[in-house]
Amino acid sequence: MDHQGHGHGHGQNPSMGVVGNGPQFPYGSNPYQASHMTGSPGMVVASPGTIQSTGQPPSTQLGQHQLAYQHMHQQQQQQLRQRLQAFWANQYQEIEKVTDFKNHSLPLARIKKIMKADEDVRMISAEAPVIFARACEMFILELTLRSWNHTEENKRRTLQKNDIAAAITRTDIFDFLVDIVPREDLKDEVLASMPRGDVPVTGPPEALPYCYMPPQQVGAAGVMMGNKPVMDPYAQQTHPYNMAPQLWPQPPPPPEQQQSSPDQ
Amino acid sequence: METGGFHGYRKLPNTTAGLKLSVSDMNMRQQVASSDHSAATGEENECTVREQDRFMPIANVIRIMRKILPPHAKISDDAKETIQECVSEYISFITGEANERCQREQRKTITAEDVLWAMSKLGFDDYIEPLTMYLHRYRELEGDRTSMRGEPLGKRTVEYATLGVATAFVPPPYHHHNGYFGAAMPMGTYVREAPPNTASSHHHHHHHHHHARGISNAHEPNARSI
Repeated sequence: MDHQGHGHGHGQNPSMGVVGNGPQFPYGSNPYQASHMTGSPGMVVASPGTIQSTGQPPSTQLGQHQLAYQHMHQQQQQQLRQRLQAFWANQYQEIEKVTDFKNHSLPLARIKKIMKADEDVRMISAEAPVIFARACEMFILELTLRSWNHTEENKRRTLQKNDIAAAITRTDIFDFLVDIVPREDLKDEVLASMPRGDVPVTGPPEALPYCYMPPQQVGAAGVMMGNKPVMDPYAQQTHPYNMAPQLWPQPPPPPEQQQSSPDQ
Repeated sequence: METGGFHGYRKLPNTTAGLKLSVSDMNMRQQVASSDHSAATGEENECTVREQDRFMPIANVIRIMRKILPPHAKISDDAKETIQECVSEYISFITGEANERCQREQRKTITAEDVLWAMSKLGFDDYIEPLTMYLHRYRELEGDRTSMRGEPLGKRTVEYATLGVATAFVPPPYHHHNGYFGAAMPMGTYVREAPPNTASSHHHHHHHHHHARGISNAHEPNARSI
């Protein structure tokens, strides 16, 4: 089965002994499109071929397994959408009742310093840090909520860095944060989408479709780019406004960011 | 320059608020003093941005995270630090966009409207409606104090706020898009006011200055900011 435009097409050749290795390399460099989603049945067929010579029974079993996983995953995304809707409604209601503007959840002086870290910034209205204090609280809450969703997907109770990486990968408006999480955690996000029962070597090809379901569904939850049928985890490259050169050099790079530079 | 005798009573609601909070006038003056002090300290620190100043305090960040997490949830240390970094990145990201807009329009001061505009442009649409309401409520409850606290900036803010509020009433309330299209007009108005002498601007648009002390404060923060 040949997939045009996909460098990893060779990796899915049934005659090849190792299917898992091939797709791993081209994955990072090839953007995925809606047409690839229709190829998932082929991937399903290819995967069992590497496990057993008999195609029919394993194919059926794996198909059912993937359907079950897909269903669970969709439920998880539905839950996230509901939580986000409740979150934003709650934010609006809370702000309607705000009467105290002196005890901000984040120190205004610190916000102002971070704003002024950009040498181009000259004067700042007294209201700007006040708005930022509330905006940053909302930002932390949204990012934490999306990250926790990933923690639950993996049946854990400790929110980890790779959960944040997953949330960043799945949310378009968080593209500007991609450099903050090392590429390793981004890979974890891919592996985390694997069905648990599968053999690791066959994980990458099967995981491919699931990597793109979350952004698509999350987008439907209200993200501006929700119209796209499938979103690329590296959507940053397809959004010129996010690549504005003036923006990226501005913040001083944290140590971890420097470490991740060689990987990129 | 004597401007004590000039009062703009066009903003009756704020005047009423001022009267109601007559007791807090004392507090406002204290806040002005403390504000100047903290401003001075801030300026000194800005010369050398320390490591800890690049991030929000981690205790605040954790407290906010826990608001949305279930009680049994745990947060790893590297996750806490990652969120800290993300918040600073977020502030810089939005500020950069807001500042670009200021420069395009040849203004020097980043306003709350610029911040909201930048968020909208960068895709944070869900944030606009709650934050717009937050800003309105802030101005209702704290408007007088803000103008007293940071007089040169406060003055412009109040002036800008007036136009902003007026614009907001024409379209449906909290419809942020209309609000921001309308905001373009006050922007133009604001720009036209820039060329006149700063002192003249003070004289013509001064609403809350009652004492010579206010005048001296007006000059000091300005010098520090520049």
